[in-house]
Amino acid sequence: MVGSPVLLIAIPLLAAFLIPLLGMIWKELVRIIPGLVLAYMMVLSASLLYYVLENGPIIEILAGWRPPLGINLVFSPLTGFLTTIMTFLGFIVWLFSYRFKRNVEFEPAKKYFIFLMMLIAGAVGIVLTGDIFNQFVFIEIVGISAYALTAFYTGRNAAEASFKYLLMGSLSASALLIAIAIIYSQLGTLNMADIANNIHLMDPNFKVIALILFIVGIGIEAEIFPLNGWAPDAYTEAPGPIGAAFAGIVVKAGVYAMVRMVFTLFDVSGATEFLLIIGLVTLIIAETTALRQEKLKRMLAYSSIGQMGLVFVAFGIGTVEGIFAALFLMLNHAIIKPLLFFSGSYLVFNSKDKKIKEMNGLGKYMPMTAAFFALGSFAIVGLPPFAGFWSKLSILTAAANEGMLLIIALILMVSVVEIVYYFRVVNRIYFFKFDKASTVIPHKPRINAVFAMAVLGILILLIGFYPDAVTGVLHKASDDLMNTQQYIKNVLSLGQTLTN
Amino acid sequence: MEMIYLIFIIFLGGAGATYLLGKINDILRDIIFLATLLVPSVLFLTQVSIGETVNFTMAGFSFQWGITYFSTIFAYIVLGVGVFAGIYAVKAMKGKKNLNFFFANYLLSIMAMMGILFSRDLVSFFIFWEIMTWTSYLMVVFNGKDVQKVGIKYFIFSAIGAYAMLMAIVTTYSLTGSMMIDSLVAAYPGFDFSMQLLIPILLLIGFGVKSAMMPLHVWAPGAYSHAPMAYTSVFSGALSKMGIYGMVIVMVSLVSHVPEGHWFREIIAWMGGITAVMGTLWAIKQDDAKKLLAYSSVAQLGYIIVGVGIGTPLAMMSGLFLAVMHGLFKGTLFMAVGAIERQTGTTNFTEVTGLIRKMPWTFLASLFAIIALAGIPPLGGFIGKWMLYESLIGSEHYMLVIVIFFSSTAAFLYCYKFLFGFFLGQEEKEWSHVKEAPAMMVVPMLVLAVSTFVLGVFPGLILKPIDAGMQMLGYTSTQGHFWELSVIFNDWGNQVAMQPIVYTIIGIFVFFLAFLTIKGYKETRYVTTKDISSSGEVPKEHENLTFAVNFMQPFFRAVEPLMRRQIDKYYNGFANGLEALFDFTRKIYTGNGQTYALYAIIFAVLLLLFKNNLFG
Amino acid sequence: MESIGYNIMGGIITVIVAFVVGLTYMGLSRKITARIQNRKGPPFYQNFIDIFKLASKTSAINHGFMQHIGPAFMMITSIMSVLIVPVLTGEQWFSNLNFHGDLIFLLYIMVFGPLGMALGAGQTGNPNSAIGVTRGLSQMVGFEIPWVMALVALMMQYHTTSIVDLIKVQQEQGVWLMFSSPFAFIAAVMAMLGMFRYSPFDIVGAPTELASGPVSENGGKYLFTLMSSNSIFAFAKLTLYVDLFLGGAGNIGELLLKTFAIYLIPMLYGTVSPRYRTEQSIKYFWGWPLFFGFLAILQASFF
Repeated sequence: MVGSPVLLIAIPLLAAFLIPLLGMIWKELVRIIPGLVLAYMMVLSASLLYYVLENGPIIEILAGWRPPLGINLVFSPLTGFLTTIMTFLGFIVWLFSYRFKRNVEFEPAKKYFIFLMMLIAGAVGIVLTGDIFNQFVFIEIVGISAYALTAFYTGRNAAEASFKYLLMGSLSASALLIAIAIIYSQLGTLNMADIANNIHLMDPNFKVIALILFIVGIGIEAEIFPLNGWAPDAYTEAPGPIGAAFAGIVVKAGVYAMVRMVFTLFDVSGATEFLLIIGLVTLIIAETTALRQEKLKRMLAYSSIGQMGLVFVAFGIGTVEGIFAALFLMLNHAIIKPLLFFSGSYLVFNSKDKKIKEMNGLGKYMPMTAAFFALGSFAIVGLPPFAGFWSKLSILTAAANEGMLLIIALILMVSVVEIVYYFRVVNRIYFFKFDKASTVIPHKPRINAVFAMAVLGILILLIGFYPDAVTGVLHKASDDLMNTQQYIKNVLSLGQTLTN
Repeated sequence: MEMIYLIFIIFLGGAGATYLLGKINDILRDIIFLATLLVPSVLFLTQVSIGETVNFTMAGFSFQWGITYFSTIFAYIVLGVGVFAGIYAVKAMKGKKNLNFFFANYLLSIMAMMGILFSRDLVSFFIFWEIMTWTSYLMVVFNGKDVQKVGIKYFIFSAIGAYAMLMAIVTTYSLTGSMMIDSLVAAYPGFDFSMQLLIPILLLIGFGVKSAMMPLHVWAPGAYSHAPMAYTSVFSGALSKMGIYGMVIVMVSLVSHVPEGHWFREIIAWMGGITAVMGTLWAIKQDDAKKLLAYSSVAQLGYIIVGVGIGTPLAMMSGLFLAVMHGLFKGTLFMAVGAIERQTGTTNFTEVTGLIRKMPWTFLASLFAIIALAGIPPLGGFIGKWMLYESLIGSEHYMLVIVIFFSSTAAFLYCYKFLFGFFLGQEEKEWSHVKEAPAMMVVPMLVLAVSTFVLGVFPGLILKPIDAGMQMLGYTSTQGHFWELSVIFNDWGNQVAMQPIVYTIIGIFVFFLAFLTIKGYKETRYVTTKDISSSGEVPKEHENLTFAVNFMQPFFRAVEPLMRRQIDKYYNGFANGLEALFDFTRKIYTGNGQTYALYAIIFAVLLLLFKNNLFG
Repeated sequence: MESIGYNIMGGIITVIVAFVVGLTYMGLSRKITARIQNRKGPPFYQNFIDIFKLASKTSAINHGFMQHIGPAFMMITSIMSVLIVPVLTGEQWFSNLNFHGDLIFLLYIMVFGPLGMALGAGQTGNPNSAIGVTRGLSQMVGFEIPWVMALVALMMQYHTTSIVDLIKVQQEQGVWLMFSSPFAFIAAVMAMLGMFRYSPFDIVGAPTELASGPVSENGGKYLFTLMSSNSIFAFAKLTLYVDLFLGGAGNIGELLLKTFAIYLIPMLYGTVSPRYRTEQSIKYFWGWPLFFGFLAILQASFF
């Protein structure tokens, strides 16, 4: 082991604060330090995950106060798995945006990397923490970084998108605070395991109200319908790699929080069915809306929302196979969506409006980027032998085992819609005549961007041809989520602890 | 290393190698391409034995690959058409762009089809099915024409079909706990009625799309005409048969074991019949050779579906025999059209004509293929048609006999149109420069064409594997009862003995040909087509006497009521309606931040109001 | 070896008989038509004179190899038809290929000829022949339907597709199929009008409208082949009708009588009919003849 879980949060935060200072020494450090930090986090997370898969979860106590009084971090197969994905993606995002705004000014680059670090730190924190108020704090950290990053390109649209995000975020914060207050007043504790242990003692009315407020609050972050209005704007106006980060990191944290609430903390019946329905609605509305989009990044944003809806459907099935499918979907989405955002941002690089119509014929001028985009499209739609197929198959078999035929039919119909809008774009890239008179000059990606995209592409092919590489971890993670009692036991009896 | 794995690895590696090597050297790429086609075919024919399987597990599912007697028939079609079309393609595609991609994709497509035939479990079946779909999609959009309309339409239909199949597959998995095809077959009679109805319908939607059964055929004319002709030989000749393969398995192994299955088969047979008629009528109307052949394929597949749907031993044999023959003669015809396109630049009957003296070998191959298509003895198509009619009469489907016969007779019209439009008729000056296609293109055509003749005289050659396949499916052997090496029988014992007939035909033909030509062929001189009898005046060189536009006008005036409705228009209307609906849902995202906040609050309020109904 | 020799001899004799009888009938039809039109008309052996004159002529020009193959295809059709159709029942000399093919085979081989002819006519490039061919093919689609319905009715009723068997059935029953399957007979006769291409269905070779349709450009030996093929084919068709509906014939005299009786039907009908356009003829065939065909099938399935 090269460290303990708390470092996964502490170090990026520290780095974020140090970057401006170090930047005054040497400008390049602003770009290098995040890379080092993220690489370290990735390695740490992976090795901890490996350890945890063998030996059981790590519960880490912070500041010496033991649970249920103090705050603890839980690094279990589930949380560790998500953390590893997030740190890996963070590293890829850094790799892609290494030269971001390189030749422009120094100020924005500094801000970019600071907030990127904070974003990742916050997201990891949401996942790792075992205390609901601590989670709220991290949600706020993520929120602030996200608002800043959305408004990165100073301009009217970006500011408006950021403002909408801020507005919704504040609503989310309010709802969460009320919910936390209710729970604390009823149960007297903020520790997740303790809440889970005592939830049956809570007054049913208050319980349900708290759950609803949690759903609304976290749902805004997890982009469920109808709370996701901010998302398309934010994804579109944020810089390309940030869109990837949102899709791959932030929303996963939100989903995790939601799922933790429903599965572990609350024992309200009908909650999983609710997730199923709301996920289905999100999926259908998002995918059909994506069909009508004219801007590339907006289309990808809706597609992302739709995929998250599908993840919720999978969680909502309620069985361990459903959770397996959901986690698999999250993994695949975390790899494929960033690839689409990365290649997409280069494909519309010099365009002001970033419309799909301007992408005609770019396949000839940017063969690699176009190929990556096409690979991503094929994969996300679920065509074998690429990665997305296996996750789709898992969710369908999980649903079939529960006899949910109508759900299967709806999912498949929506898949057809997905195919249409992705393939329309791919066709445009390759088969339409390049408009020489247009102002969109193809901008070839730099070597680091290509490398980042290639890594993701190779992963897609790898998982596609050999899914067993990841299924072992996924099985352990899904078992972990289902097993609430184990979670409580691990934390409250201090399982394997590391005193700090 | 198991032979089966080796075959697939060679295909996959060969595809990658073709793509990469093509960037270095063209000749190298062609060699690797042909090698990748030929080596696995040879391996398959010699080394792989029927019944041997390989197993492995992945992602929690167990996979099993192996060849059965029944899939062998289709493997012959795939490899036969694939290899010859591949040889043809090497020459036909010279000079076009993106060739590395074409050849690599071609190999992947063939691999996918073989994969489907090898799959003994449903997951690999689906995987290979999807790979086949997207590789053929890439071929359809290869030329870059009409990609949004034709290409996406093809993909949508294929996707709907494939997803219907996927739904059936996962439902089966949940009901039986296993993904093996054999376990589905075994468990099927035990399902409850709604499942017994649902699963075959879903599977048939999937297979019906690929075999262009009405009303799922609308993608076919566009897709077949837009793909490069070298690939369309495979597309129409082999790929559509994958749908037939699935259909037969559903029909015979599943539906037949249930008493209500009888109605199912009737409906399918009738849909095949309607497909045959409407396909033929629309084929006659076309002026573009590619579209004509595409609609003709749809119609021919209709015959096969009728045979397969009826299900009696004779009918099934006729369906499968027609499937093999269709692969042969349609492959030849598409190759011929490709050759003409290459030499003249167009495939429209109203533009090019009179090629018989300029491309005699192409004409000869087309002549054989057309005669086989029309079902005229002594070529192979007759055998299939004969068995089909006999089986229809024998199983008392008299109305279907009339329908099929009507379609068959009307087929003569487009057969003649094809031959006359391209090869016969006036020789115009603008086409006097046209030369015969290169040997590498002509030889595969001739090989396939001659094989239709061989199979016509000795149908037993292919009926034997078909019989073995049918036995595997549960039929009793038909050898000696319905056929010998070159005799075919029907249910009542009437027969057609091909050998004496063929010898007689050849005898008559040679005699009269000699009679007509011997004296004086050398002494007569050839005159151009302008030198004709036309009420006393000789047409001038520049006068255009080609008869091509509105070629079958009187026929259309007569059948006009049948052709008034087009299914395509209904689909387009439906799609437009959906887009309008989606536009409406898009407006939920108003772009106004306050609206979103309002949504959130309303959502919270609604949940709180209905909390007792939703939770607890 | 011996029997093959006998078979070939028998075949050749059958063909010669068909040739002679066919030409005679066509000559007789010219005579009778002329008499109805109140003129003397050519002698009944005129066709023989014509045909031998044609055979002795040589052609100075040709239009390519397909023009040679076309008439050869036509001859294949006619001769195969004559060989498959049982000419005389129970005669060893005339059994030919009777047992090697059946009705459906016959149906298809009957189509081959016109198709081959069409191909041959096509290479000449004469647009008139092409127009004639399209008309001919379209019309064929028209009359084939009631024709097939009638045949299917017969096949259904007696569970056989072999013509020899149908003759046997008539002999056993003692009743001609003309009377026991009347609707099939009516439908078949109406279809026959189209097959023989006399008025009102002679638009294919309409002499006063199109310069002879498909046979334009063919002179000398080609026309000889076509004419003889036509006469042999006519004989084959007539014999087919006799076998199917009139109980076959035991000797030549009976055969001649019956075939001529059948032949009178299209010939006489033609003398009093104007010409139909192609679409009119198709629509005609899909009217009453189709109706009778349906009745025939109904009768066969219920009785």
